[in-house]
Amino acid sequence: MVRDAQSFDDFYRSTTRRMMRYGYAVVGDYTEAQDLVQEAYARAWRQWGRLSAHPAPEAWLRLVVARLATDRWRRLRGLRGALRLAGPPPPVSPPNEDSVLLVRALRQVPATHRRALALHYLLDMPVEEIAQEIDVPVGTVKSWLSRGRARLAALLPDLVVVELEATDVA
Amino acid sequence: MSRELSELYRSLAADADARDLGLPDVLRHQADRRARFRAAGGTLAVALVVVGAVIGAQAVAVAPPPVPAPVGTAASPSASPSASPSASPSPSATGAAPSPPVSPTTPGRSPGTTTTPPGGTGTQPPTTPTRIPDRAFFALAPANQTGIAPQFRDEAVLPGLCGAAIGNAQVVHRRTRLLIYKLPQNPGGEHVPDGSYMHSITIYRAGHADDVLKELRQAVRDCPEQGWPGASSVRSRQRLLPDSGFGNESVLFEMRSAGQDVNGDPTGVEDVRLIRVIRVGDVVTVLWEQGWENTSSQRAQVDADSRRAVAAIRRWLG
Repeated sequence: MVRDAQSFDDFYRSTTRRMMRYGYAVVGDYTEAQDLVQEAYARAWRQWGRLSAHPAPEAWLRLVVARLATDRWRRLRGLRGALRLAGPPPPVSPPNEDSVLLVRALRQVPATHRRALALHYLLDMPVEEIAQEIDVPVGTVKSWLSRGRARLAALLPDLVVVELEATDVA
Repeated sequence: MSRELSELYRSLAADADARDLGLPDVLRHQADRRARFRAAGGTLAVALVVVGAVIGAQAVAVAPPPVPAPVGTAASPSASPSASPSASPSPSATGAAPSPPVSPTTPGRSPGTTTTPPGGTGTQPPTTPTRIPDRAFFALAPANQTGIAPQFRDEAVLPGLCGAAIGNAQVVHRRTRLLIYKLPQNPGGEHVPDGSYMHSITIYRAGHADDVLKELRQAVRDCPEQGWPGASSVRSRQRLLPDSGFGNESVLFEMRSAGQDVNGDPTGVEDVRLIRVIRVGDVVTVLWEQGWENTSSQRAQVDADSRRAVAAIRRWLG
């Protein structure tokens, strides 16, 4: 099937930032998230002939990242080659303290809750859309968000848990 | 200093933005190189299977006909992943062959754990505990293991069937795990898995487990076609498949959806999902094969894993 490299590159450039934020929040380790997101894009490219016609290719990518995140066994050595081809990564400033604290706390939150929290807080998705993307009932998403927030509040003592809206968590 | 969660996520996003993921053309080049490597490995595996099949056929031609194994035994030859033509997945073995709809041959209600199971596949009435230990879940055959540990998670145990609510009442305890596997001919290592199961075990109150299977059969019949959640243009077709020899009773159904090309036209290639629901006394286990990157379910593999699932539950129930 014909794959349009230009449309893939456009898709890649327009979505990588969101995907990396999502991957970082779900995986809890930046380097690993980088590998997983690259692997997801590589798979997207292999199926780009079909995926380009998909109604929600970015949601498809997020699903792949979430699945790969459960797979800590494979170290994705093959994709590290892409990093080597691209040369050494540019120097970056150290992460800020809030980010480190959040990532450390997220590692102690179940994967399903991390996923729902990332979709909600990073991608501003309402509960109904999250439920549709993950293919679970709305009530389940509400429960995950509520429990995830409660867990984070316990792990981050000075965290302010804001009042929840009706469309958020019951 | 107090902070809100949204602030912390903003900090996380800022950190993520500070790094570059690389150029798309580099990634495309690397992905294509890996795909060629995988294709070469797959061709070699197919060649080995064909050679094995030819040698096997020659051996069968001179050997006396084999004695069929008892139905439902865990060590049935058809359940073991071997290089025999019937067990080795091939394009023709993908999913299930078309067959007429299943006639309702469901055994009647079993009054809890005191009923002698029909079908002769289990003669000991199982005693039903109230909690599900890890040992109730089957282990993959060594040839199917990827090295990826199963992960217990709070997920739906069945795919949506036109909104039908199935099996969520009268539940005593339920556990669900994601189980990732490879097919025997996949060498593992750097190769991606071939499929995954959402595998659940549910204990129901005495006498209610058979209602779940009854409701499920009806739900599949009532939902021959539906749109995928979030992708209404993609239609999925459901139908029951003939099934026997698993636990006290079982339901097997498939979900088929057509692949589409860039123009939205059918490619002729279908994604096939197999879902098997098995009752053992008051316990119901579901193997929902979810594939891996659009792979289709392999009937021989699902059958083999279903037998292992039943055997593990029987060992647990004693």
